Amino acid sequence: MTSDKETWDVVITPKRMWLGLNLKELRQYKDLITLMIRREFVSVYKQTIFGPLWFVFQPLMSTFLYMFVFGNIAQMGTDEIPQALFYFSGTMLWTFFATTLQKCSDTFINNAGLFGKVYFPRLTMPIAYVTNAFFTLLIQFAVMLVFYVYYLANGVQFSLSWWILTTPIYILQLALLGTGFGIMISALTTKYHDLRNLVSFGLSLLMYATPVVYPISSIPVRWKVLFQFNPVAPVIEMFRYSFFGKGSCNLKMWAYSLIVSVVVFLLGLMTFNHNEQTFVDVV
Amino acid sequence: MSTAVKVEHLSKEYRLGVIGNGSLWKDIQSWTAKLQGKPDPWTKINEESRIGKRERFWALKDINFEVQQGERLGIIGRNGAGKSTLLKILSQITAPTEGVVKMRGHVASLLEVGTGFHPEFTGRENIYLNGAILGMSKADIDRNFDEIVAFSEIEPEFIDTPVKRYSSGMYVRLAFAVAAHLNSEILIADEVLAVGDVKFQEKCLGKMKEVSEKQGRTVLFVSHNIGAVRQLCQTGALLDHGKLLMLDNVDKVADEYAKLIGQ
Ligand SMILES: Nc1ncnc2c1ncn2[C@@H]1O[C@H](COP(=O)(O)OP(=O)(O)O)[C@@H](O)[C@H]1O
Ligand SMILES: [Mg+2]
Repeated sequence: MTSDKETWDVVITPKRMWLGLNLKELRQYKDLITLMIRREFVSVYKQTIFGPLWFVFQPLMSTFLYMFVFGNIAQMGTDEIPQALFYFSGTMLWTFFATTLQKCSDTFINNAGLFGKVYFPRLTMPIAYVTNAFFTLLIQFAVMLVFYVYYLANGVQFSLSWWILTTPIYILQLALLGTGFGIMISALTTKYHDLRNLVSFGLSLLMYATPVVYPISSIPVRWKVLFQFNPVAPVIEMFRYSFFGKGSCNLKMWAYSLIVSVVVFLLGLMTFNHNEQTFVDVV
Repeated sequence: MSTAVKVEHLSKEYRLGVIGNGSLWKDIQSWTAKLQGKPDPWTKINEESRIGKRERFWALKDINFEVQQGERLGIIGRNGAGKSTLLKILSQITAPTEGVVKMRGHVASLLEVGTGFHPEFTGRENIYLNGAILGMSKADIDRNFDEIVAFSEIEPEFIDTPVKRYSSGMYVRLAFAVAAHLNSEILIADEVLAVGDVKFQEKCLGKMKEVSEKQGRTVLFVSHNIGAVRQLCQTGALLDHGKLLMLDNVDKVADEYAKLIGQ
């Protein structure tokens, strides 16, 4: 510890950080992150016969399905927002959250081979997943705007609100929630492989406790509790309120959801950091 | 000359056997059984005796050594000696249980050829992807691109073909070509030369030696091929049962190893 200068580039010790986001290191790997995003994006659409059209086709299909089932058969309201816009915006935002969560929760399982052979910041993968989902969202957002203009041209009035300016915050919240829950679960799926099934099941349940296919206003009072604890619910309602001027704009719930987003993300980061160096030994 | 790698009191403990049942559902059943004082429904008969006896073991125990900058160290030892574990710790793939490793310069580790290759991607795209995974920047790869393709001996017209259409020989050559052009100060390689044809192996060894000599790169090399280790490395380290038996001139260490496996 004395002779030569103690200037080391890499120091490896048994200690693991609990809360640390090594931004400097992530920046060093920015080319890799870009390539991983591309790899993800390309491999998603190479798997379907629709190619890149898949990103648009999927939410459109859901929208038509919801219009038929929930709009026509079940006769559920949409807060007087045109059905297509209501369902499309809900599906688009929900898919962004759910895909991010699901992909992130499979981080270790899907990359076991890679992680066992080479070191790079493990967060590269969740970052690639969430960015990829974000690009998908952007494409779908553009489609939503097309609908929007169509309805405007057909004389539908939207009372746009200033809240529209906070749209990036809604998206960020969904990203934090999806990534946070996802990487938190990813630490557990290395131990419990059956957790994966539970995740997809849980997500499909949660979707019905989120105003994706019906507005909060149409929920009977005794069920509202379910929505109150769901941090995704106010985000989707706020988004619709901002763009279509209808729906509930409950600032207390939104503030709660903001706090939960940040806390979930930090907790996720902690469990992820804690797990990333030991998981290789157990798979 | 300065020290490139300094390993102090390095130990790694592994847990053996299955930890839990690998299933949340089964673990819950085990817990409830325990609470009710019943036997665990998921314990296998022969497992009961094994657990508790040898649950943990040391794959590496109190390893100390230094590697100077520009030195090429060959790490040899029998199967299960702990060579791969040592390289995995140095590569930051797994954390040590005890001890410290300090390194000067960037580390590139090659524990497998073609890590991260995507079959749907073309040769060109995979060069970039694999290079980035191994720590190269896009600019580095741009600069070396033509040389990488030339080294791989892949006809330029195939470079924009998805690698799933490559023969396995082409695939391995391309992967090696990327690895040979890594510009990190420290290169760690584990048994990677076990694949690929002999002529190409020779070429890779030659290239590794050449860059190390020219640019003062440090190399840590594991191989079962003692001839290759003698050819490439100056010093050798002999590992056995997780302990460092000997650290000396490569020929002496190789002779000692021959004695060890001769017994
Ligand atoms: N993930 C692991 N869990 C438990 N034991 C392991 C694990 N990886 C390696 N081992 C054990 O550690 C010892 C050293 O393994 P390794 O470093 O791969 O040896 P070598 O590369 O010298 O053949 C072996 O006994 C091996 O079975
Ligand atoms: Mg090995």
